[in-house]
Amino acid sequence: MAEERKWGMVVDIDRCTGCQACVIACQTENNILMSSEDIVQQKRAMVWIRIERYWEGEYPNIKARFIPVLCQHCENAPCEPVCPVYATYHNNEGLNVQVYNRCVGTRYCANNCPYHARVFNYWERHTAAPHMQVYPADARAAEPMNEYLNPDVTVRTKGLMEKCTFCLQRIRRVSRQATVEGRAIADGEVQPACVQSCPTGALVFGDLRDARSQVSKLAGDQRAYHLLEDLGTRPAVTYLKKVDPNARATSPSH
Amino acid sequence: MVVLLAALAGAQVVAAQLGGAPDQPIGFTHLTHATTLQIDCTFCHRNVTKGSTASVPAVQQCMFCHAVVTGQTPLTQQEIAKVRDAFQNQLPIDWVRVHRVPDHVRFIHEAHYTGLRARNPGISTQNLCATCHGDVASTIKVGQVRQLRMGDCVACHRANNAPTDCTTCHK
Repeated sequence: MAEERKWGMVVDIDRCTGCQACVIACQTENNILMSSEDIVQQKRAMVWIRIERYWEGEYPNIKARFIPVLCQHCENAPCEPVCPVYATYHNNEGLNVQVYNRCVGTRYCANNCPYHARVFNYWERHTAAPHMQVYPADARAAEPMNEYLNPDVTVRTKGLMEKCTFCLQRIRRVSRQATVEGRAIADGEVQPACVQSCPTGALVFGDLRDARSQVSKLAGDQRAYHLLEDLGTRPAVTYLKKVDPNARATSPSH
Repeated sequence: MVVLLAALAGAQVVAAQLGGAPDQPIGFTHLTHATTLQIDCTFCHRNVTKGSTASVPAVQQCMFCHAVVTGQTPLTQQEIAKVRDAFQNQLPIDWVRVHRVPDHVRFIHEAHYTGLRARNPGISTQNLCATCHGDVASTIKVGQVRQLRMGDCVACHRANNAPTDCTTCHK
């Protein structure tokens, strides 16, 4: 297959209200294990997209700001070369892919990821001996939560590295549909769960190779920057943030 | 075609290791329907050209013919009566599933049907389906004839110049 597309996302921080709708949508779409309080306290919570909070200004003129952080699908991904079993690689659509069947759980990739986008699954779903289930789809979560699982996404077991896939299952569904109908994928037709759920439209997803797509236009915005740009990872996720030229410089210790 | 049939003949031996052909609740024979009556596979397995599952026909679909066709021998009359009873009592028929790929595989029948058609112009539907399912049309009870493991899939994908990116099949 020729390199036709390069999927990318734009996150407009000026629009983000920190409502966490994307986090919940992602969790539901991708069968991510629901992290209970004790799991979070052990710092082993399962999230593929998280909202990072920071403060702007000094009290009383202080503002809460939010950055949604997800896998950046870096072109120069630090996670990829360290995998000893080639379980993570870059595919021809610009996605950083995690192959669960290959993953042996060394966690090197998570160590090498500067964005903390990868999560290791320390948890087993409450099934009767799940590793004995040849087809875990039949009994993969305790009642009644077995009903919520998305059949288009694998239920991962303990001991695997997981991360954002840009809702690969949705990309696949739309591209197959487009192939059947003999047409190209329209801009905005593929929407990952986080993008779909964002009430303020802070997240935009699309093809970065298509110069007319909304995501390409926004990625060229004046406000655009990348997370930890100086590391040279070349992320596919672009952030937009207006920097106030009149703002007082914050102290370096901040 | 000869090569394909020879390969399938070899695969038939494996079938017993793959669980063979399970007993079904009704003595349905593909031999009668697909070979003697020459009904196209897609007439009953309608979704095969449209979606991911091939789909087992609804009982109502059996009644397209069996509302009239009641069978010629005592044995067939007995089996066809089961279908008619199921329809009248509005009960589904509990067919035993023969083919199943693991949970982490995304298999789309439509893509394979379309792809194989495009690569083999003029192929009959029976021969097309036989690529993976074996010569179902001349069997009484259906069993699994191919491994349908990843190596099997990848070998065929390579031979047919189909995509081999992991995300094509793994979800």
